[in-house]
Amino acid sequence: MLLPQHNYLQPASLNECLMALQDAGEFGQIVAGGTDVIFNMRLKLFRPKTVVSIRRLTELMQVEELPDGSLRIGAACRLTDLAENPIINDRFPAFSESIRSVASTHIRNMATLGGNICLQTRCWFTNNSQQWRQGKESCFKTDGDICHVIKSSEKKCHAINNSDTPVALIALNAELTIQKSGAKRVLPIADFFNDDGIEFMKLCPDELVTHVTIPPCNDRLIFSKYAARKGIDFSIGSIAARCNGEGEQTDKVSLILGSLSTAPIKLTKAAEIIQTKGLTDGAIEQAADTVRGDLGEVTNLYSRAVYKKQIARVLVKRTLTHLKNM
Amino acid sequence: MAKQQISLTVNGDLYELLVSDQQTLLDIIRTEIGLTGTKRGCTTGACGVCTVHNADGEAVLSCLTHALEWDQESITTIEGLESDGELDAIQKAFVEYHALQCGFCTPGVVMSAKAVINKYPEPTEEQINAGMAGVLCRCTGHIKVKEAIRNTHKIRARDGVKGA
Ligand SMILES: Cc1cc2nc3c(=O)[nH]c(=O)nc-3n(C[C@H](O)[C@H](O)[C@H](O)COP(=O)(O)OP(=O)(O)OC[C@H]3O[C@@H](n4cnc5c(N)ncnc54)[C@H](O)[C@@H]3O)c2cc1C
Ligand code: FES
Ligand code: FES
Repeated sequence: MLLPQHNYLQPASLNECLMALQDAGEFGQIVAGGTDVIFNMRLKLFRPKTVVSIRRLTELMQVEELPDGSLRIGAACRLTDLAENPIINDRFPAFSESIRSVASTHIRNMATLGGNICLQTRCWFTNNSQQWRQGKESCFKTDGDICHVIKSSEKKCHAINNSDTPVALIALNAELTIQKSGAKRVLPIADFFNDDGIEFMKLCPDELVTHVTIPPCNDRLIFSKYAARKGIDFSIGSIAARCNGEGEQTDKVSLILGSLSTAPIKLTKAAEIIQTKGLTDGAIEQAADTVRGDLGEVTNLYSRAVYKKQIARVLVKRTLTHLKNM
Repeated sequence: MAKQQISLTVNGDLYELLVSDQQTLLDIIRTEIGLTGTKRGCTTGACGVCTVHNADGEAVLSCLTHALEWDQESITTIEGLESDGELDAIQKAFVEYHALQCGFCTPGVVMSAKAVINKYPEPTEEQINAGMAGVLCRCTGHIKVKEAIRNTHKIRARDGVKGA
């Protein structure tokens, strides 16, 4: 089965690439590892006129320690290389864990960090071939006017943001460098995602994520993912939990949940409880009890929403307990 | 869009091919080059039967990558493992430890296993599991396959280093 018709470009430099993206406009599609782009092209969810490859842009393949102690990672770095990078393993082990938890070895050998951050949102309806989808009414993503996942009066696509590394990167306060022809901006990754399955990221068609910068972190930090098969499957739920201090003592806590909704979720109530009471068994239990109410709408994908909510509670309790003993 | 010329080395042989934007690496391996050992399964990254090696001997999925992306590169397919008619140690292990039944997944499973051995000649259980998680076998199951991988170094020691 051939891919849908398009024009494939392989720019030789970053500048050439930005110009190609500008020319292509809204009909352009960046491809890095291709593991999600080709998947979506086969399902005819992506129907680009121009596909611009960034796989060979050496400008986007460096990992550098900056003078202020931050680590700057090129968006086209392969996940396999990052997972094996000794600086990342040493300084940001939770981020390493999130990279290793993406898909399978085969896919990580092709996939890039930028592609993982910009991963298209997904749902059980759009995760099927065009022929299969034709048996049902079109949804927002397929030029229709409904969402099959959550039916409400709200005109919103509820597809899940199912990507693993952003969860850890948000907890690490990482920043994204975004470039287009003639302009560059920096955005905290925490502000990059929108709570909407279609406009799920703040990125214009002519823009490219070029780098991810992680500031130094001396806090305790854990990433954990729950999936049906550990070796390849997408998350049913994932978490990054971060806190300062030692043992039960802490006054700065951050809890980020992934793969439950259209964007990663920051849990404020649970974090506040731990910040005021510390990582005691009682406070951890109390924090876990607030999770369900704090999640908002949860999209069912790979399991029912009620189960996902239960998993979220378990992940929060487990990681907080783990942080206490770190 | 008109076809473009690429040069691709497959199993040590150089091919000059006219390739369209719509073809994946899998498409050209099977249809243009005519090496049909590499199988077409899900074509969405979930089964691993299309696994080939990049120049570094790592497992990659030929169904999820544009053929044009592989201009000037070198790959190995299942046909490239034997040398002068003698099977590679990993292939012998699959035979000796009965690690295949219908054989449909076998090229992808063997290439994935070989990638594990390339990186870890005597792999741990964890390294085998991580390297093999991306391929599915529906009939043999994975127990025999893992046994074959675990014992490949013994066959290599017995018969010497052969193949790619
Ligand atoms: C079987 C299977 C299992 C998977 N399991 C997981 C999983 O467990 N966790 C997970 O997170 N993902 C998973 N994935 C999805 C995907 O493989 C990964 O997210 C991967 O990291 C995507 O990277 P890529 O380089 O291949 O992206 P591509 O497919 O090249 O691109 C993905 C998206 O990002 C855009 N893009 C790429 N690079 C940039 C950039 N620099 N700037 C702006 N936009 C960009 C593309 O336009 C596209 O929309 C899985 C995929 C498959 C097929
Ligand atoms: S055919 Fe490539 S992974 Fe299934
Ligand atoms: S041998 Fe039949 S599917 Fe693996």
